[in-house]
Amino acid sequence: MIKVQEFLIRARLEQNSLEAWIAAGWIVPPQTEPELMFSDIDVARAQLIRDLRDDLGVNDEGVSVILHLVDQMHGLRRTMQDLLDEMRGSRAGE
Amino acid sequence: MSEDPYAVLGVKPEATQDEIRKAYRALAKKLHPDLNPGDKKAEEKFKQVSAAYDLVGDADKRTRFDRGEIDASGNERPRERYYRDFHGAGAEQHAYSSGGGYADFADSEDILREMFGRGAGGERRFRMRGQDALYRLPVEFLEAVNGATKRITMPDGGTIDVVIPPGTRDEQVLRLRGKGGQGLGGGEPGDALVEIEVRPHPFFTRKGDDIHLELPISLPEAVLGAKLDVPTPTGAVRMTVPKAANTGTVLRLKGKGAARADKSHGDEYVTLKIVLPEKLDPEIEEFAQRWQAGKEQNPRRHLEA
Repeated sequence: MIKVQEFLIRARLEQNSLEAWIAAGWIVPPQTEPELMFSDIDVARAQLIRDLRDDLGVNDEGVSVILHLVDQMHGLRRTMQDLLDEMRGSRAGE
Repeated sequence: MSEDPYAVLGVKPEATQDEIRKAYRALAKKLHPDLNPGDKKAEEKFKQVSAAYDLVGDADKRTRFDRGEIDASGNERPRERYYRDFHGAGAEQHAYSSGGGYADFADSEDILREMFGRGAGGERRFRMRGQDALYRLPVEFLEAVNGATKRITMPDGGTIDVVIPPGTRDEQVLRLRGKGGQGLGGGEPGDALVEIEVRPHPFFTRKGDDIHLELPISLPEAVLGAKLDVPTPTGAVRMTVPKAANTGTVLRLKGKGAARADKSHGDEYVTLKIVLPEKLDPEIEEFAQRWQAGKEQNPRRHLEA
């Protein structure tokens, strides 16, 4: 877990952008008390948001939609992976 | 990155900054690793495209590159891990986890809810009962009537011994608990479902629990009566053919049929059939010639309209 300062540097982000992104629900800090803390996945997510906005020309509404779909896709991929792992595992155990 | 950045972006060297930006965006939308989480090639290409754009997407850097002051090598953008890299196997649950992609399955189907439900500790656990395995097992007529043990070889080379209970019928399905496919994630194994195919017998037939047999008898046996050895599924038994028996006469051997679930047995029905010798005896012919009463018999009376 990292503090706000380190997060801003690693994510190459301004303080007020971070506040806006948290307000929009794009970034959900894993810890808020006693102080804001972030983990590596938040850095990666911030970087994705920056790519979407700065490089891909996606507007704020588009960012929300894409994040939502990307998270759903990861949920599906994870479930699919679990399923395949179990099937492989049980086949090996036969 | 040592390739020509203009070629990587697919633009001409004299393209405007705006054209370069558009070309980059078009490629990045297709290739961004977080939008292609399963595609390793996309990541490689995205790196090249990003590096090229870093070089010529900025007007100042581009001027220096065009003048030959800087080259395309070593220009890859340092980058933290991609967002997708936090979603692989063994990744922890986090605030962004979403089961929304299959929530509708889980609502409609209990089995899916069970499969995708969350187990202890918030960890997603996958559990599924193994598949039922289907087999078709041919057995001989008498094996089905009397019972037998047959061995099935499974697709993976293993074997199952199938106990055919006495009285098993054609197309009956035997369920062997737990002999089917392995369960997944600690789910119980499936069952083996064995459909029995009873082969026909040269002289026995079966109707329900009863056995039927057509028993050929000679003319003297029919006329005078006899004690005959009659085959049954459990071996021959001695049966009395009454005097003046006829073709079509049915005799019953009680309890010589197939076993029932309640341990009782069906019966064997013996249908007599008079068979004349293949080579006609002159004595018989002579007898028939002079047998007046026989000539007066009309066995087809009931067929007359």
